[in-house]
Amino acid sequence: MSQALEYFSIGWMDPQLFFLTAIGTFAGIYIGAIPGLSVTMAVSILISFTFSWDVNEALALMAGVFMGGVYGGSRTAILLNIPGAPSALVTALDGYPLALKGDAGRAIGLSTVMSFIGGLVGILILMIAAPIISNFTLAFAPRDYFLLAALGLFLVGSLSAESLSKGMFCGALGVLLGMVGLDPLTAEERFTFDTLELTSGIPYIAAMIGFFGFAEILVQLHHLDVKPVRQNLDKILPSLSLVKKYLPLSLRTSSIGVIVGALPGTGGDIASLLAYDHAKRSVKSPTAKFGEGAEEGLIAAETANNAAVGGAYIPMLTLGMPGDAVTAVIIGALFIHGIQPGPLMLTETPHLFWFTVGNLTLANLFVLIFGLTGISIFSRIVQCPKGILLPLIFVLCVVGTYAIQNSLIDVYWMLGCGFLGYFLKRYGFQVAPIILGIILGPLMDVSFRRAALSVQNDISQLLWEFVSNPVSLVLTSAIFVLLITSVIKSRQQKAAERAD
Amino acid sequence: MKRREILIWSICSILSVGAAVGIHLSAATVNATYPTRNIQGVIMWGAGGATDTMSRAITPYVEPLLNQEVILTNRSGGAGAISTKYVHHRKPDGYTLLYGAENPQLHGVLGLSDVDYREFYAVNVLARGISVIVAHPDTPWRSLKELMEDVKNRPGEIKMGSTGPGGLPYVIGAMLGTQGEFDIIPVPFDGDGPAITALLGGHVDFLPSGYTATSEHIRAGRLRALAVVNDQEIELLPGIPPLTQDYPAFKKFLPWGPFYGVFIDKDAPDSVKTKLTEAFHQGASDPAFEKFVTDFGAIQMNVSGEEANVFLKKWQSVTTWLLHDAGATKTSPEAFGIERP
Repeated sequence: MSQALEYFSIGWMDPQLFFLTAIGTFAGIYIGAIPGLSVTMAVSILISFTFSWDVNEALALMAGVFMGGVYGGSRTAILLNIPGAPSALVTALDGYPLALKGDAGRAIGLSTVMSFIGGLVGILILMIAAPIISNFTLAFAPRDYFLLAALGLFLVGSLSAESLSKGMFCGALGVLLGMVGLDPLTAEERFTFDTLELTSGIPYIAAMIGFFGFAEILVQLHHLDVKPVRQNLDKILPSLSLVKKYLPLSLRTSSIGVIVGALPGTGGDIASLLAYDHAKRSVKSPTAKFGEGAEEGLIAAETANNAAVGGAYIPMLTLGMPGDAVTAVIIGALFIHGIQPGPLMLTETPHLFWFTVGNLTLANLFVLIFGLTGISIFSRIVQCPKGILLPLIFVLCVVGTYAIQNSLIDVYWMLGCGFLGYFLKRYGFQVAPIILGIILGPLMDVSFRRAALSVQNDISQLLWEFVSNPVSLVLTSAIFVLLITSVIKSRQQKAAERAD
Repeated sequence: MKRREILIWSICSILSVGAAVGIHLSAATVNATYPTRNIQGVIMWGAGGATDTMSRAITPYVEPLLNQEVILTNRSGGAGAISTKYVHHRKPDGYTLLYGAENPQLHGVLGLSDVDYREFYAVNVLARGISVIVAHPDTPWRSLKELMEDVKNRPGEIKMGSTGPGGLPYVIGAMLGTQGEFDIIPVPFDGDGPAITALLGGHVDFLPSGYTATSEHIRAGRLRALAVVNDQEIELLPGIPPLTQDYPAFKKFLPWGPFYGVFIDKDAPDSVKTKLTEAFHQGASDPAFEKFVTDFGAIQMNVSGEEANVFLKKWQSVTTWLLHDAGATKTSPEAFGIERP
């Protein structure tokens, strides 16, 4: 135990490592906040940059960038309605309405504290239960990923505001957009019309920036005369009693975040989507309606995506397998620094586990510190006159999209999705289900076909496996419970409407 | 002369002198010692993959030799076709390098693109990966022969992890298929990593895979290695028999494996080719890089020019014909002038 504590504190005691983690977290927050600049990209650039360094220094910097970057995505989501990363998508749903009401400061304060709590839960579970969870994730067969994605699709109901049919239309549109490109199983071209550029599909970050950022600019052009709301900057820090009140919810959503983050096929984006759905179903009386500035929605999203960071490290540290794209890059970095990632890493490089846990804890603390400074300045962005703000956001959208993979085609996609999103918004369609479809569609598609191939396309065998395997059984029953409760709820609502 | 005219004349003369100097300078940059500015390095695959790791590992050794920075960007998509076409369409001045893997050699027959490495000059084929055939430890097979016989006895029941047509497991599967009846269920995953995860969880039964990704699992006893895809035993995996031990007929396909290299357009000036070739050869000879390659589970090649072409040509001929005979191609290799091995 004292050994563990010693390794844990390496990053805290060494001033250089301490400083590197701080720098990493700070840089991560701003890289994460810029749509299009992803944490994955930042960490892979760091590989060549930290090439000649000591491995501990490189890992400290990367842990900081990772932790900060995931949190940073919430900034632009709340202030500008442009999620800095896909995992901050649901943050925008309730964060941006809060900002429009003049509560941007409070929303950022709350999301920072909740990100910290989520991150902490993730690290704690990594610390205590890493081997158990990594064995549990191995039990997930392709059919279970399919069931998980199907579970996620229920979110369409949560995301579609008034009209479920419009929400379903948008979800289906998203699935269709996600289909474009090379079929991941057979490399057959789908909807590519014989153009090389379409073979890599429509990058969903470009679509997200278009549907959220650019479309929002176009909508705002209708309201140029509306004066921005004065931001209320008195109570930025959430009170202790408020944190206490939300603790049960944040613990539940953090746990969802850790598990989904630890699954090798899913990351922070799906984690926050599932957590949001859970919050919407379990919270009886939110502070505002979900989608119109409910604090619970913001909390679910922010705890889950930060808890997913700890989750992603679980398979990396125990098995040497990446939990997401960022840990995949970190594994590459370990190779270059002469460490063999694998199941023996924990015994052969004993300091690595506790050192990483220590670093992540430190980085998480820096998220809290850096996150809570400068909120009042950032909140004023929303107060900025639209004539200045909108062109700036537009430039940010274009630059961010171009930065994804230095491709102008992506910028055209962003603009196209923006125009489409504008018309959809004008006619009362929600754009969030489109992104949901783009994210979940391909996962459902490949997982289902993988599962079907594994049983030689024998559908009765597949259905039997849905209920005969413990993991699948839990997921299948969850789907049925959701289905039944949704039906009952909508009947009750209809009955109540009739009674009125 | 009016004032205005004087002004226009002076502007014109300044511009023309400027242009002349500019042309002269740009001509000079070609003649002066290359490279005079930053070089762009385009990586064929995304961040975190084997190609990405290999590219980012070699570059710091080469930069001081070129006295310039190589700015690396990932440009994935179209199974590598996007980056290959991009570099091919750039000016052949040696300022855009392609950090690529084996994929373009298959683009023709898979109908993805008609640009392959024949359009490029191989600055350095750095290394080739070793592949192994691994199985879940709960399976009864102790050797490749036992696996192959079990497949014969239970056709259509054994699941092989794959990464899609043209991927490494697929090609090795096709190789195994040349030895008579080989009816298995290939289940495709997004890459080596997810396929190994599925194998660890027992969702597939065996997997031909890169050595790098599996070595630690073999060492920990979580996976069992049945054979090395090579014509002799390798130092890193003592006791694991080569593919040719039970099936000598495989010899004609070997050596086979993924490879990683650096390429420029074949129309680049000879001086540029020489400079780059020397720099990369020296960089790749650094003992620290050699150690990295070994740790990475690859066999160092460090060959360029004609020597590399021989390897690239054989690789393309073996693989495209294997795929063609397995029915996985859209166009016959013959249409691209690729000879049967």
